[in-house]
Amino acid sequence: MLQALKTLPWTQSVRALASVATSATTAPNASSATIPAPEPDKLYSKLEIELRGVDPAVLKSYTWFATTAADHLGIEKGKCWSPRKAHHDRMTLLKSVHIYKKHRVQYEVRTHFRYMNFHKLTGSTLDTFLEYIERNLPEGVAMEASKTELQQIPEHLRQPPEEV
Amino acid sequence: MNFLNKLVPQVALEVQQLSKSAIHTSAVCCRVQSGRYRITTKRDRPLTYEMANPPHFIGHRKSWNSWNTSTLKDSLRPSQTAIEDLFIRKFVTGTWHALVSSEIIIKRQHNTIRIAALIRQAISPRKMYFLIGYTEELLSSWMQCPVTLELQTVADKKDVVFKYI
Amino acid sequence: MANSLTRFWGQGSLQKHVVQTGLRGFSSQQNPEVEEEEEFRVLSLRTVKQQFQKRREVKKDPVTPPRSNRMAVDQDWTAAWPGPRSFHPASVPLPLRQGFTERGAAAPSKFANAELMKIPNFLHLTPPAIRQQCEALKKFCTPWPKGLETEAKWQRHFPVEVITTDYLQALPTIRNPEARRVTVSLKLSDLKFDAHARDKFLRLVGDRYDKDTDILTFVTDRCPLRKQNYDYALYLLTACYHESFVTEPWEATKSEADMEVYLFGRNKSKLSAEEILNWNAAEGAPKVEPSPSYGQSVEQLINEGENEYNLTKYKEEVKKMLNIASQ
Repeated sequence: MLQALKTLPWTQSVRALASVATSATTAPNASSATIPAPEPDKLYSKLEIELRGVDPAVLKSYTWFATTAADHLGIEKGKCWSPRKAHHDRMTLLKSVHIYKKHRVQYEVRTHFRYMNFHKLTGSTLDTFLEYIERNLPEGVAMEASKTELQQIPEHLRQPPEEV
Repeated sequence: MNFLNKLVPQVALEVQQLSKSAIHTSAVCCRVQSGRYRITTKRDRPLTYEMANPPHFIGHRKSWNSWNTSTLKDSLRPSQTAIEDLFIRKFVTGTWHALVSSEIIIKRQHNTIRIAALIRQAISPRKMYFLIGYTEELLSSWMQCPVTLELQTVADKKDVVFKYI
Repeated sequence: MANSLTRFWGQGSLQKHVVQTGLRGFSSQQNPEVEEEEEFRVLSLRTVKQQFQKRREVKKDPVTPPRSNRMAVDQDWTAAWPGPRSFHPASVPLPLRQGFTERGAAAPSKFANAELMKIPNFLHLTPPAIRQQCEALKKFCTPWPKGLETEAKWQRHFPVEVITTDYLQALPTIRNPEARRVTVSLKLSDLKFDAHARDKFLRLVGDRYDKDTDILTFVTDRCPLRKQNYDYALYLLTACYHESFVTEPWEATKSEADMEVYLFGRNKSKLSAEEILNWNAAEGAPKVEPSPSYGQSVEQLINEGENEYNLTKYKEEVKKMLNIASQ
C-alpha cells in the first residue's frame, strides 16, 4: 500500500505525458518555478508473470484470482497458459545401502508452471496491481514478474554527433 | 545453523569434531520401510490419515507437510530450509510435550513462517496461550523472521485416528 | 500417635541426645489428650504409606462450541476471514470433507482434519473480497494514455524497450542475484546513421544485432545491481553509437582485398563503363556517368552470384546504357 501511495503524485503526470504523445510538437506544459516538474509516469507494454508451484490446483486458483483482479482494475489481459507437463527433478539412488546395483529407487520433485500476460499498464497501475497480487501469493508458490518498460530514445542518440 | 551454536555450544563443538572426521552417521531410511506401518495382530494400532497413506501418495491422497519454494526448480537455499524445518519440528514437538497429535505443517509465505498443528486439549487455555507466545517468540528470534502459530485443538487423542491396523 | 512416634524415631538417630529427650518429654505430655479423643491405633513401624489423598479434580474449562454455529447467514465474510490463514473448522461454516477413503466410507470431516490445514486456501480472496479490495485500489491506477493504443503507435514515440525481472520467493531474504539482469532492445532503424557509421556500428555490436528482425539487444548482468546494469547498457549503446561516427586514419588504408562486398563505385568496371560512354567525346564536354541502375545490377551480379534474374537484369541494363534497341 505504501508503494501505491508513493505512486500517487505520478497520477497527474500521466495526462501531461498523454498530451505529449498525442501531439508531439507541443512542448510539455511548463509548471511553476516553485513546484518541481512532475516526473512522467513510466509506461509498460507488457507484464509477464511466471508462477512455479508444487500443486497445480493452487496455481490455477491463484491465476483465477489475478485475472479477476485485473478485470476489476481494467487491465488488459493477454494469454494465460500452462505447459501440460510438469518439470520433474529426478534423483536415482540405490535401493539398498551397499550393493544390488540393479535395484534402484527414484525420488522426484515436480515443479508446475503457469504463465500470465498483462498488457498496456502505466507505472502506477503496474505497481499497484503487482503489489496487490504479490501480497496475496499463497505459500509454496514462487513468482517471476518480467516487466517490459517503454522508453524514448535518449536525447544524445537522436541526432548523429556533430563533432567527430 | 547459527542458532544451534548459540543454543548448545557443547553440541556445536561435537558437531564440528564430527564434521572433521567426515563420517555420515544418520540412520538409513529405506524406501521400502519408511513412512509405512505394519499391521498388528490385535489390529489396535491407531493411525492418523497422514500415517495411513504411505509416502508415494504425497500429492495424490495427501499433501505436503512443508510448503516452501526452496524445492522448486532454480530456487535458493533448499538445504537451509530443510534443516530449519527439521529444527522447527523438533522444537515444537518438544515444547508442546505430548500434546501435538498430528504432523507439524510449516508454510512459508514471503518472509513469514506459519506453523499449523493439531493440539490436544490437555492443558488449560492459559498455559496454551503462554506456549504459543513462547514458541513464536523464540522461533522468530532464531529464524530472524515472523513466526505465527495456527493451532487447532482436539478434545481427545482418538479424534485424529483415521483407522486401526 | 504412631505417626508422631515413627517420625521422632527417625529424627532421633540424627539429632543430639539432649534435644531428643526434651522432645520426648514434650510428646509424652501431649499424648494423653489424643488418646482420650481417638480410638486406639495400631503401631505400624514399617509402613510409610501415606493416608489416601483424594486426587484434586482437574478443573477443565468448558470448550466453547464452534463459532460457525453462531454465524449469521448474511454475515460479512470478508470481516470473518480477513487474511491468509490456515484452515480452521470452527470459523468456516461449510460442511467440508477431505480425504481419500475406501469405497463406501465417508471422507473425514473438517474437524481435526490435517489435510484441510495443509492446502493453501483462498478463503480470504472470495469474489466479493476481490471486488472490494480492487475498488479501494482503483484510485491508485491510471489509464493508458490515449494515442498509444497499438504497438505501431507507441513504437513511434517509445522505441526503446527495457526488460527487467522481479523474483518473489518464500525466503527470509528479498535479494535474488538473477534480478540484476537488464535487457535493453531497440530497432536499428530508429537510430540515424550514414553508410560508414552503420557499417562500423554493426561491426562493434557484433551478434547483439539480429539481422532478420532489425532489433538490437543489449543484455547486461556484470554489475551487482539492476540500476548499474541499466546504466551500463545505455553506456554501451551510447559509446558504440558515437564511436561509429569516428573515422580513424587507418580506415582509409582499406584496400580492395579487404572489402567484404563488391562496390561499383570504387572498382575497375566503373572506369571501363565511363570509358565506353565517353568514347570519342570532345575535349571539355561534360563527362557521361553510367546510370546508378547499371551500377546496382553489376553489384548484384557479383555479390549475389550469377543467376537467371541477375543476368537478365544485367543484360537489360547494358542494352539500355549502350542504346541497343531490343529486338
